[in-house]
Amino acid sequence: MDYQAARVSLLLAAATALLLLPPGLWLARWLALSAWRGKPLVEALLMLPLLLPPTVIGFYLLLAFGQGSALGAWLASALNLRLVFSFEGLLLASLLVNLPFMVQPIQRSFAALPHSLREAAWVSGLSVWQTFWRIELPLAWPGLLAGVALTVAHTLGEFGVVLMVGGSIPGETRTLSVAIYDRVQAFDLGGAHGMALALVVFSLLALALVFAADRRQAAARTLQER
Amino acid sequence: MGRLQVQLQNQAPMPLAAEFECAAGELIALVGPSGSGKTSLLRAVAGLLRVPQLQGTVQVGDQPWFDSARGICLTPQQRRVGLVFQHYALFPHLTALENVAVACPSSLDIRQDASLRALFERLGLAGLEQRRPAQLSGGQQQRVALARALRRILRPQDGRVEPGGVLLLDEPFSAVDAPTRQTLYRELAALRQQVSTPMVLVTHDLSEARRLADRVVIVDAGATLQSGPPERVFSSPRNARVADLVGIQNHFRGRFRRLPDDRGVLRWEGQDGAGLDLQVIDKHRLDDGVAVTWVLAGEHVDVLLPAAAAPADDTQNRLLCTLVEVLALGETSLCTLVPEGLASEKLTLNLSTAQLRRLGSDVGGKLLVQIPRQGIHIMPQRTGG
Repeated sequence: MDYQAARVSLLLAAATALLLLPPGLWLARWLALSAWRGKPLVEALLMLPLLLPPTVIGFYLLLAFGQGSALGAWLASALNLRLVFSFEGLLLASLLVNLPFMVQPIQRSFAALPHSLREAAWVSGLSVWQTFWRIELPLAWPGLLAGVALTVAHTLGEFGVVLMVGGSIPGETRTLSVAIYDRVQAFDLGGAHGMALALVVFSLLALALVFAADRRQAAARTLQER
Repeated sequence: MGRLQVQLQNQAPMPLAAEFECAAGELIALVGPSGSGKTSLLRAVAGLLRVPQLQGTVQVGDQPWFDSARGICLTPQQRRVGLVFQHYALFPHLTALENVAVACPSSLDIRQDASLRALFERLGLAGLEQRRPAQLSGGQQQRVALARALRRILRPQDGRVEPGGVLLLDEPFSAVDAPTRQTLYRELAALRQQVSTPMVLVTHDLSEARRLADRVVIVDAGATLQSGPPERVFSSPRNARVADLVGIQNHFRGRFRRLPDDRGVLRWEGQDGAGLDLQVIDKHRLDDGVAVTWVLAGEHVDVLLPAAAAPADDTQNRLLCTLVEVLALGETSLCTLVPEGLASEKLTLNLSTAQLRRLGSDVGGKLLVQIPRQGIHIMPQRTGG
């Protein structure tokens, strides 16, 4: 077991989930409630990382952040920030590719809330902000939980984008999935086994959590439809 | 104490042409088929209807809630509205007590709040405070929703309960079973003694409106067609569309002719070109020779045996009819009669089963239907408002 890689993986997963939750929540709620005509385009853009090969995403991120690009050069000179082959760059890439995993379940849980609950809160005198905190959030939390769980599990399992953008620098960008690849390349199947099994178990637990949360939400929905 | 006055117009996509008022303590029913816009009117009063082009005013007492000319539009939070939603819209994650307490945040611990406890007791909800909505029956959920709405308009101030605002009920009885509905009707009637705000009930159920409301407002395609006490609207609809909407069975076509001395003749026209003349009162609202729709007010109609009848005076119409169908409904029987000489038309009368037995009449037999002049209500044939 490569504990250094496990630490990088867990750090990356935790940071991604925490940083992505607030903007993901905002975007998901907006998508769930908005009737704007351009919404399908936003939704399509959001889902794009799911369909594109990781190499394509990694390639464009490399182009955008590399020293050769204007953005990359500016970041390096002004902020002394290097986004290629660094943990920061890996985190940024991870935030982008995880957006659909965070937004989708939250969007679904907000869309499932009957609009009459919001209206009932308003006529009862609750402001939009109070309605969000006291009514919507407590009812949509299974979606938030699912979003975080999916994001964490997916970050731990991400391979292609990590390899393209981060490479395999021990303690900096070598995650568990990259470490497994390295182990297999070196014919160390025993070493690969332990890490692979850990990932399988963790992902399974995360998915089980997602489905359990979904069931809770379904129970809340049936009450409203009675 | 505020009187509710509503006057709204809107063009596409949702046409509205509505005008109604409701005095403090009065209960009016907005009645119309589904999709007629009655719920939209209720939502406009509550401030939930968001239509950019909405014109008109909503006023409670001297306080304007909406005034398109002056650019006033209060938010739902600023309006003091108790609204009972059709499916209650209770917050599933909160207890019954919390659901109701949401409507008026007080600094007190909600478990210590005497006015909340009194409200629960008044609505027969004592003991259910800590239940979640899922643990309540349909009738109990409806009462919690009503309690939440009342809490909003019976705002406690310095321990005194000072009512204000309006109470709005959107099909509040449609989701409960029939026996529960009867109980809730009685409770609403009792509650009315204690609530002195205007109350607006939206319903598609005519008998419900008739039973609960002081006045009914007939709504169709976003327009208020007629308003008045239920018995008047139901017996003298202003036009054929209202007659349709209030479910009058006996409405027919004819042509009106004027006679001297406030008298008139209604030529009842059948589909096959045959006709019968009926004596009617000329109320000077119709021109001579105009095509009309007319309805029969069932409570004026009497049925006699042809042989036993005394001679009629000229204030009565008597039609010899054949009884073609009898549908026994217990105490009453729904009878279908075809007048002699007008085979295409059918009268539907709800006669008491005892009366029918006394007459000894059966399907195929002859009966005299006696219609006094005031039992015939004539309207112009146009369906417009």
